[in-house]
Amino acid sequence: MAAEDTLTAPGAAPAALEGAHAGTAPADNGGGGGLPQFELQYWGGQIVWLLLIFIVLYTLMSRVFIPRLRRVKDTRAETIASAVAEARRVQDEADAQATSARAEIEQARTRARTVAAEAKARANAEFAARQAEADARIADELAAAETRIRSLRDTAMASVGDIAVDTAGAMVERLTGTAASAADLRAAAKGAA
Amino acid sequence: MASPMEQFEIHKGLQLPTVELPGGILVDLSLNNSIMAMLIAAGLIIAFFAVATSRAAVVPGRMQLIAEGLFSYIDDMAHGIIGHESRKFFPYVFSIFLFVLSMNMLGMFLSFTATSQLAVTVTLALMTFLIVLVVGFLRNGVNMYKLFVPSGVPWYMLFLVTPIEIISFFLRPVTLALRLFGNMLGGHVALKVFAGFIPSLAALGAVGVVGAILPLAGVVALTSLEFLVAFLQAFVFAVLTCVYLNDVVNLGDHH
Repeated sequence: MAAEDTLTAPGAAPAALEGAHAGTAPADNGGGGGLPQFELQYWGGQIVWLLLIFIVLYTLMSRVFIPRLRRVKDTRAETIASAVAEARRVQDEADAQATSARAEIEQARTRARTVAAEAKARANAEFAARQAEADARIADELAAAETRIRSLRDTAMASVGDIAVDTAGAMVERLTGTAASAADLRAAAKGAA
Repeated sequence: MASPMEQFEIHKGLQLPTVELPGGILVDLSLNNSIMAMLIAAGLIIAFFAVATSRAAVVPGRMQLIAEGLFSYIDDMAHGIIGHESRKFFPYVFSIFLFVLSMNMLGMFLSFTATSQLAVTVTLALMTFLIVLVVGFLRNGVNMYKLFVPSGVPWYMLFLVTPIEIISFFLRPVTLALRLFGNMLGGHVALKVFAGFIPSLAALGAVGVVGAILPLAGVVALTSLEFLVAFLQAFVFAVLTCVYLNDVVNLGDHH
């Protein structure tokens, strides 16, 4: 507003100034030498037209074109700023999610590790129990078998003396033709044993 | 051969009535080539921005990209110089940059350069100077004197510094007007002079034709330089407008 008032104000002054010159300027435009720019008779028209043209240009610029461009540029800056803010927010969110996901994975891994350890321990215990059971059964069987073997051997060993006496008696009878007494045979067998 | 100055002559076109401004000053509003160049320059800017911003989208099209590039370029520059209050003054800085740029560039394509007219550059410079004055007094009131009394200067130096500051302040519109005027005038005169050498030399026969290659190359080089100058002078005008505005907007902050 103020600027426009100031635009019209200077207009009057130079125009008035030069208009006055134009009125009194001698008509020496035909002569060589001087610059055509100093033909003051044309100054008034140029100044008035220049001011009129500039006022129109300034008014259109300040009222129409500059606000349009300013609005677009501000909108663009706003759009970019909000997009950047949105991107930053999403990034933060993603970071938070990634952190929580990492924590969750860590937790799951811990849980899996405990479960695995537990399962292993249980399996070990079961295996150990089963092995112990098997060991015990085998030991029992071994003991039973050893007992049976020992009894068999004992009976067998007990029979050996009788067989030796019988055999010796038969051999003595065959060799000498007379049967030896059972007591002698038994003593001899004992001595040989 | 036409004089190199012929390109700056005003030729009256459509006859329009002479109006009387308040104060009894008569101004002939007839169109001439200078006014036409200004009208075309402003018309091109308005047409371009009307099309480029008609369907302003967050994802810009080709035209909008160019418009936004110019916008950001000047906006960043103004913000860098004036600071957080640059948005208030940006429409003026941007308008004057585009208008000067458009007139300079049209001068490279048309036969007439409006910014090579002293009347035009003086008006633009005075407009900027008066806006700086008005903004300065509206914002600072009597504190405007600080512009000429830099703080941190020993009091006995002020007798020297203050007149220098005052002179440099009131020379601003002069330098602003003459810088643009002189650059455009000089560039176009140099172009015309070099271009004039080509037919003059070529008229001398075979040797002249070969010799004319030199000014031809010069004209090509100068033309590209003039495109740079056309942009640079518009930018310098906008930068200085910002610098002068900054002096009164942030008065006391920097001094």
